[in-house]
Amino acid sequence: MFSIIVVPSPCGGSGEQIRLEPGEILGFGRSERRIDGGRQLTIPHCGVSRTAGEITATGAYWTLTNHSARQTYVVENPEGAGEHIKVAPGRIGAPVPFEFARVVLPAADELLTFDVWAPRHDYADPLAGSDGGEVTALAFPLDRTKRYFLVLAALCEPRLSGAPHAPLPTTDQIVERLRPVWPAAGRAAVQWNIDYLAVKLRLKQPPESADCGPRLNGKKESVVSLALRFDLVRENELGVLDGVLTA
Amino acid sequence: MTDPRSGVAVPVPAGFRIGRWEVGEPIASGAFGSVYAARAVDGGAAGEPAEAALKFLPTGTRTPRQLHHLRDLAERELTLHRRCRQPRLIRMYEALTVDAPECPDLDGATVLVLERAESSLAALLSLVSLVAPGPLPGAGTLLVQICEGLAQLHGAGWVHGDLKPGNVLLMAQGAGSAAAAGSGAADAVAPDTVRLADFNLAAELEGTHAYSPAFSTPDYTPPELLWSEIGERGRLVRQSADIWAFGVLAHLVLTGTPPFPGGTPAARRDAVLSYAQGRGGLRLSPALPSPWREIVRDCLAPTHEERAAHDAPSLLRRTKEAAGTAAHAPAPRRRLRRAVAAGGAALLLMAASAGVTALLLGGASGAAQESKAPAGYDRCKKGHVCFFTESTGKGDMCSWFGFDEDWRTGTISCPWSGSTPPRSVFNNGVDGSYTAVSYYPGDDFRGRQGCISRLGRTDLPAGQEKLRSHRWVKSC
Repeated sequence: MFSIIVVPSPCGGSGEQIRLEPGEILGFGRSERRIDGGRQLTIPHCGVSRTAGEITATGAYWTLTNHSARQTYVVENPEGAGEHIKVAPGRIGAPVPFEFARVVLPAADELLTFDVWAPRHDYADPLAGSDGGEVTALAFPLDRTKRYFLVLAALCEPRLSGAPHAPLPTTDQIVERLRPVWPAAGRAAVQWNIDYLAVKLRLKQPPESADCGPRLNGKKESVVSLALRFDLVRENELGVLDGVLTA
Repeated sequence: MTDPRSGVAVPVPAGFRIGRWEVGEPIASGAFGSVYAARAVDGGAAGEPAEAALKFLPTGTRTPRQLHHLRDLAERELTLHRRCRQPRLIRMYEALTVDAPECPDLDGATVLVLERAESSLAALLSLVSLVAPGPLPGAGTLLVQICEGLAQLHGAGWVHGDLKPGNVLLMAQGAGSAAAAGSGAADAVAPDTVRLADFNLAAELEGTHAYSPAFSTPDYTPPELLWSEIGERGRLVRQSADIWAFGVLAHLVLTGTPPFPGGTPAARRDAVLSYAQGRGGLRLSPALPSPWREIVRDCLAPTHEERAAHDAPSLLRRTKEAAGTAAHAPAPRRRLRRAVAAGGAALLLMAASAGVTALLLGGASGAAQESKAPAGYDRCKKGHVCFFTESTGKGDMCSWFGFDEDWRTGTISCPWSGSTPPRSVFNNGVDGSYTAVSYYPGDDFRGRQGCISRLGRTDLPAGQEKLRSHRWVKSC
């Protein structure tokens, strides 16, 4: 039932993702554990205070508390073309509206970061009527302006264009396909988005899922079959691959 | 689906002909299809229905969007209708496929020809919230009938998967209740009103569980299905999901508010999650009367395992009992009647159909159905106690499902009670713990005059006083 995932910076720390349920609090800072025994993300850098702040999963979004006395924290939207919010020193529970966020902490002459994902953000079904009634909701609210949707569209494209058993495009082919709309795309970024889609779509890990071997392929296959089964990408939405966002 | 903003998923021109049906005005449009009123071109000859609701599901091979999941959803609904026909489930007369190559949007669409309902519980609730926020009049009877539908569906091996007020349809009152209305004595809800509908998300059990498409209505989704994992076949659902939805619906109908706090579905979802994690208790409305309290609490048990102990048949027993004793507190109805009288014409505009108001007020029946009206004691509906102005069930009748502490002003006002003593009585109650009826010449049950056991029917003595109140008791 987690709603928020905290992804520590790959350098330093354990690097393990931390999943938070609504209402759960994660402290972050230099100390290795919290005084109250709660969960803690350790940031081993002498420029970060022991208890630098707190992240609270609040339903589908999260809030940030800045315990520092002097430093402003910045929360960036990595896909938002510079979009960011500032959280002033001492601010408690500032709501963060981004589905993807990067928390930036100034520490001495460095900037330390970690990521926070909010995969449960709600989006309206673009096709549903708005008569004010209780709408039977899509279980997979996707943001059609995000890069993961581009990747999903590229993955589904061959099968949507009339070849139901076509092999899935490779990561390199996807990078190539997305070049016009996403010039900076790279293998790692595409792979990251596929991993994120599996989280977002709440894919059940197959029981035999191992750490290596065919697992990644299986994940890509599952993402596509779920997306086609529930029409998460439709034929007329493939325009996003050419930069056309259809309503 | 040419224009998603229009809210009509499948536009069908008025006058469009399919089979023996001519399409009329749109009734509703959901996430998956559109429903239109229709009448039979032959006027309903040979005992066939003259009116129906046509549900168009855009499954055509040439629809602009090749919507795979819609075909799956249409298939589910069709299969259920074909395999499972029960009195409390909306009836499907036939299923047709549109053959109209000149309309590519429509060609190939699946059309379910369904029983035409008068309104829905959702429309009734929104009307009540406008005129007299609070409990729905006749809530107990409605819930019993909804629970019957659930028991029938579950008994046949299905999970509904999307039980909510919009999918609880209310039928026009039949001829029997029109007769009762004529004598000024109809209950708020006729005994045969509710039909469950919309089986797009229904799933047939495979053992103890089923796979349903991953759609749901957040306010009616049990905690274990919120953000649940999805396998390749869809989402695992069990009948306990419908039980949860019934608990939410019962709370809403009985108190006028949803069981979990919050101004938006998202806030209520968070409240459900924190309740399921054990961080917040269940705080049901204090307005929820006692026998219902336990029922709602059991339906809203936080895990499937705890809820599984309460299956639909056991809930049906309990709702029947609760409806027979406590659900008919007269106050809300009187309030509503006043409010409706004051609200007048504006209300009629807001009601989804005039039938809703008719249903609420137990007034003249909206449907002009022709059939043999029952006579004498037979006019007394099951579950009711009926008093008559003449012997052997003749003359004018007043009937009650619940108790009434004052016949002249109470739940049901009995127009002749102030002037005429009853001459015969019939207790057509159902089995349960309160089965007998004692009656009183004074209001508030003063001066007990007599008592009649279940299924008893008798003439009252010639010197019988005028009566003014009655209540259900355990025995005479």
